[in-house]
Parts: sequence; structure tokens; C-alpha cells
Amino acid sequence: MNRQVLEELLSIARDPYPKLLDWKRGKGIKVIGSTLADVPEELIHAAGMLPITILGTNKPILRANTHLPDNACSQARSDLELVLTYQGDVFDGYVLPQVDDTTQHLSDIWRRNVPWDYFESYLLPRQIDRPSAREWLRQETLRLKGSLEMFVGEEITGEKLWSSIDLYNQSRGYLRRLYELKKRHPRFISNRELYDLIKSSMWWPKEEHNRIVESFISGIEHTDLPTQTDEDIRVVLSGIVWEPPEIMDILDESGLEVVGDDLCVGWRYIATDIHMDGDPVETLVDRHFRKGPFTPIYDKGNRIFENLFNLVTENGARAVIYLHIKFNESQDFDLPDLVHTMEGEGIPILVVETEYQTTHLAGTRTRIQAFKEALVGR
Amino acid sequence: MGEGMPKKPKAREVMKKLTREYYREAARAHETGRFIAYTTAISPVEVFYAHDVIPIYPENHSVMCLTGRMMPRLSLEIEKKGYTSHLCAYARSDLGYRELQESPIGGIPDPDFLLACNAQCFTLTKWFQVLSRKYGIPVFVFDTPQYIRKGEVRKNIIAYVERQLTELIEDLEELTGRAFDYDRLAEVMGYSAEASKLYREFLDLAAIKPSPISIFDALIHMAIIVYLRGTPEAVDYYRLLIDEIKAEKISKGIGVIPHERFRLYWENLPIWFKFKDHFEFLAAHDAVILTSLYAHAWSYDFDVSHSIRTLAENYSSVFSNVELEERADRAVELFRRYSLNGNIMFMNRSCKAVTFGVLDIRDLITEETGIPALVFESDMGDPRFYSEAQIRTRIEAYLETLDRMGVG
Repeated sequence: MNRQVLEELLSIARDPYPKLLDWKRGKGIKVIGSTLADVPEELIHAAGMLPITILGTNKPILRANTHLPDNACSQARSDLELVLTYQGDVFDGYVLPQVDDTTQHLSDIWRRNVPWDYFESYLLPRQIDRPSAREWLRQETLRLKGSLEMFVGEEITGEKLWSSIDLYNQSRGYLRRLYELKKRHPRFISNRELYDLIKSSMWWPKEEHNRIVESFISGIEHTDLPTQTDEDIRVVLSGIVWEPPEIMDILDESGLEVVGDDLCVGWRYIATDIHMDGDPVETLVDRHFRKGPFTPIYDKGNRIFENLFNLVTENGARAVIYLHIKFNESQDFDLPDLVHTMEGEGIPILVVETEYQTTHLAGTRTRIQAFKEALVGR
Repeated sequence: MGEGMPKKPKAREVMKKLTREYYREAARAHETGRFIAYTTAISPVEVFYAHDVIPIYPENHSVMCLTGRMMPRLSLEIEKKGYTSHLCAYARSDLGYRELQESPIGGIPDPDFLLACNAQCFTLTKWFQVLSRKYGIPVFVFDTPQYIRKGEVRKNIIAYVERQLTELIEDLEELTGRAFDYDRLAEVMGYSAEASKLYREFLDLAAIKPSPISIFDALIHMAIIVYLRGTPEAVDYYRLLIDEIKAEKISKGIGVIPHERFRLYWENLPIWFKFKDHFEFLAAHDAVILTSLYAHAWSYDFDVSHSIRTLAENYSSVFSNVELEERADRAVELFRRYSLNGNIMFMNRSCKAVTFGVLDIRDLITEETGIPALVFESDMGDPRFYSEAQIRTRIEAYLETLDRMGVG
């Protein structure tokens, strides 16, 4: 197994921006940033630009506080800070999705205060349980398509869009293979490595990313794959993001093997391919309704809870670690019932409150390790 | 008025009576085979009235709990269950009430249906999902994308919202087993249109100098437009109220405070458990808060000849669902219309929907009006996040600034 080939992607996951700036200068391609989640990157790629998911910064907050109140979640605050203070130079424009009050206002604040050549809000339906949502998303996706075409001065043809869809499906496919391998063969790569690879795919051209991951996968030998042992403590991660990233190192250090997740920066990003038939915009829209649940978007019943329960049982996990972004209102409302439901099913759950800019993780480490010890003792 | 004729009742008394009757009827709903829908203060409630489903507003009940100073007790109860004190005070109060069954009005009936309109806020959609799990009933998320001004998008938004109104009506038909009556909807819309017009007329009395009413009157009397719009009682009520203010104040040139100097705008919801104190404190400084976009959230402009379209338009375009620039424009319009000369902007921890963006809105309003703003942070319902001395000091300092500027 040639682990060395992954190094480039792992370093991008640690800090993508210097490399992105170099790449951009070399290619002359425009970069479009989007906050989480569900902007159809394929459409931006088909317009000849590079879509990048903005995932905040762990550097100090200097300017975002003059626009957002104290109880804004650190995801919103650090996303804004990233482009106001640190890496605005990477981006030529933005497509900001709206799913709740925070993202709705963030979109306006961003449009008014961040320099851009291109800006569009993408008004996602905040219910997906009725037919009206599908037609709305279709309209909104066509609007985004038209707006991107205006910006680049070229039509996004069906051919271009199919080609981008195919490329992005391939990317998801490769990453799913890695994910599945890790599930069957714990420790074959670390939690941090797997999730860094997923994250780096949000931050790097898919063409190059696919090439590297494909090369890594094809070099894997049978002997590279450790067998499962009873000592592996398999857990499911739940939440939206895993920040600060050292949280993933703590799971590795604690001997907790992640075998499933519902994170936006995780399985949810790679799980759902776009069907390669019919009309490309329709199929792009259709994918949205087949994706895993995302807490702000209402779907019938308790899909988030059911999905999490299924992740645990289907993957033979012993517990859930829930990553709760402080001040994330949607998670705040889910959590008490979620914890109650999991505990009712006999599934231990640990809620870890996380924030960007957190530097002291000693408490988190102690809690995760204590949780693991308790699992061993069960 | 001739001798022996019955005395016209005071609006406040009528409000109390209407409120009592409304809750009494709701309490009997299940005995009489009627259904209860919980809904949000800004939502197409006309559809419920037209279908003889009783709308109940947990927010209104929460206001009663907050003004009754039942916080933080209610909140502490649900904090024990794992809910955080960062959440909206209405939601915390409501969930706390459901644990303790303590209420200033003996409680509200349990719901058969839940409607959460996110033009008002996202929070309610999550809060109602908690109730949906608790009662095992569906929640209808009435989704109103941000009413942005760009291109043709508003046309698409209205089409989306109209479709949802049809879906809502289908759900109600399924719930009740009865066909929806569109003629009845037109009738209900007529009452809503008239009451909304009168409500705005009432709010606009604050444009008179000296103003016969303050925001605190608006906050008290808005209850009827919130939960009884769509009924003839709401129309009669605002007629009575306007007549009363005209007779008792305007005709005599009496203002709501003895010496009116600072005519203030208020951003956000009120601090419910303090608003009487704030009125008195400001009055002692010759200052009065006259209006806010929040109070105007129920001054709709319905076109009754197009029931579904006008519902979609009005409930999508509420101030909390437009872009910051448009919201600032609407506030500036109030500054002009009401001759306001001061601006108090409350950053409400409870309400992300109204509060996020306030710092940018302040800049826009100040740029346009030249009036500086006082911005302070607190919570509309939880005294743990309210610092009396600090807020009073800041208001005094702000009024001194206006004084130095020669305002008023």
C-alpha cells in the first residue's frame, strides 16, 4: 500500500488555501465558495469554475463579531471570518445556501460586506416531505444555472453538466470504497485520514483528487487490510462538521473506530450519486431528495433519529458520538429527544460540544476516553 | 351619549372578554368535535378559520407566561431535560409549561395539527417538531424562502407558497374529513383585510404629535389581530379602539406621555417582562417608543379577490423574511412617517430571526436618517440575561447624546 500518495491530499485537508491559490494562478480558473450544505457543485463545475466548500477557520476571530451577535454559531462566524480576514483572495464569487435563520442572514451580511465578482443565494426548500418542494428546488436550480451562465458568459450545456456529474459521481464512488474498506478493516487508515480525504475532496479539483485516491486504492494489497478484532470499539459519529479537527485525532488515540456517520463533512457528502439518465437538471434535483437527513431541513417523521439508529445497527456500532456545534439551534432542538431515543434503544451516546477556535481539548479528550472505557466495560 | 344609554365598553375590557371567550371555546374544542391547530403568529390562519379549525398560538401563551414572570422557572424545568438556555424564550416557556402544566390562564388545549411558517422564524419549525414528537402528530412546515428582490424569483416564491397552501388545505380536509369551502375563505379574508387595515390605522395614530399611543399600547392591542384576524370580532374591536383613542386622546390633544420630546423607534420584540417599566422610565425622560417593524408585522394588505395569492404574498413578505436592505428601508419609512428622532435596537438572544443582521441594519438606518442608534443585548423573556442597571444607564446616556445633538 502506497500511503505516500495520500500525503498531498492530507496536507490539503490541513490547509488548502496556499495550494489553492497556486493552483488558481496556474490555471486561471475562477473559484466559487459555498457554505454548508447542498449547493449543486456539479453545476458550478460545469460552468467551468471550481466549487469549494467553505468550512470556517480555526484562526482568531477579528472582524466577524462586528456583524454577528455573540450567540451565532461558530460555523457561521468562522465562515465569515475566513473570507473577511484570511482567504477572501481565493474566491471570485459565492453561492450561499439558505436553510435556517442563521444562513439566511449570513447570506445578506456576506453579500454586503465581502468583496465578490459573483454572488448568489440558493434558497433550499426547508421541507422536503411534500411535492411542492421538488418543483421549488427545480426552479431554484434553474435560476442558479442561469445566473452562473450569465457570469461566465457561456451556456452550461447538457453535455458539460453530464460530464461534471460523472466526475463527481466518480469522486463519491472512490471515497465510498475507502469508507467501506475502513469499515471492514479498522485501522487500515486512521479516522483522521479517512475524514481528511473526504474533506480534501471538498477543497481540491475532483479530477486530481480522483486520480490520487484511485491510485491509492489500486495499490492496496490484501495484506494491508487488518482484520476486525473484538477490541475494536465501533462507533457512529453524528452531527454536521467535526471541528476542530483534533477531535478526530482524539478518537484515533482513544481506539474508537468510526464505522458510520451522518455528517455533512462525511458520509452525507459522498453517499448519494446522481442518476445518469433523463434530464441532467432534473436528476441533479432528484439527488437532493435522496440524500441523508440534515437537521435544519424538515422531512416526514423523525428521519434523523431513524437514520442514526439504522447507522448504528447496520454497522454493528456500539455507541454514538454526537458532535454538537455550540449555538447551533437546529441541533439544540434535536438533542434532548435524540439522546432520549438512543438511550431508550440501549445505544450509549456521548454529546461533545464543539466550537471552531477551541484550543483546549483536554476536557473533550477526557470525556471521550472515559466514554470509551465505559463501553469496554459493558 | 344620552342618559340611560348603555355605556360603550372600553377596548381593554372587550379584549379581555374576547380573549376569555376564545380560550374557553378552544378548551371545549375536543368535546364539541372541533380540531385544534397550533400555528405561528405569522401564518395563513385564515385557512383555519375558514375550515372551522381553532388556531392556537403557543407564542401568545408564552407571552402571558413571560409577562407573568414565570421565567426562569419554566426554562429551568426543561433545561433539566437537556434543552439549552440559548433557545428562544417562547419555546423554553412552552416546553416548560408542558412539563409543569403551570400557566397564567389554566393552560391551552393540546394540538391535533401543527403549522409552522418560517417567514417568521426557523426556530418555530424546530420547536413544533419537538411538539410533533411529543403528541405523535404531523407538523406542516410552511416554507417561505427569503423574499429576495432579485429578478423573477418572487414570482417563483409565490407559486411555491401557493402550492403549499393547496397542500395545507388538503391536509386539513384529511384531518377533518370535510371539504374545504373557498367561499367561506373569501368571507374570512374579508374580515382579515378589514381588521388589518384598521390595525394599521391604529398603529399609525402614533404619527400624531403628541402621540396618543406608544409601542406599549400596540403590544397590548396587537393580541387581537394575531389570534382573531379572520373574524368579525377583530374588525369591531379595532373600530372601537380607534374611536376610543380619538375621543379620549386625540380630540383633546393629549399625548401618551406628559412631555413628548424623544420619539423613538424600537427594533425587535419587546422585553416582555419589563415593558411597563421601560415605558415609565422613558416617560420620565420625555421619551416614548412609538413603533417598530415587529408591531407592523400584522398590518397586512390583502386583496380579497385573490385569496390564495394574497395569502402567499402577505405571509412571505413579512419584515423578518426580506433582505436586510429592504428591512432597513421599511424601518426608515417608519422614521419618516412617524417623525422619529431616536433609535433603540435590542439584540434579542431569544430571536435569531430578528436579531441576526441588526448590526448591519443599524448602519443602513443611521446612514439614511442621520440618527445614531443605541444597540444593546438582552433577552425578551429570561431575566437571567437582563441587566437592569446597565440597560438604564445606557438608555440615559443615549438620550443625553440625542440631547447634545439638539434632537427633539
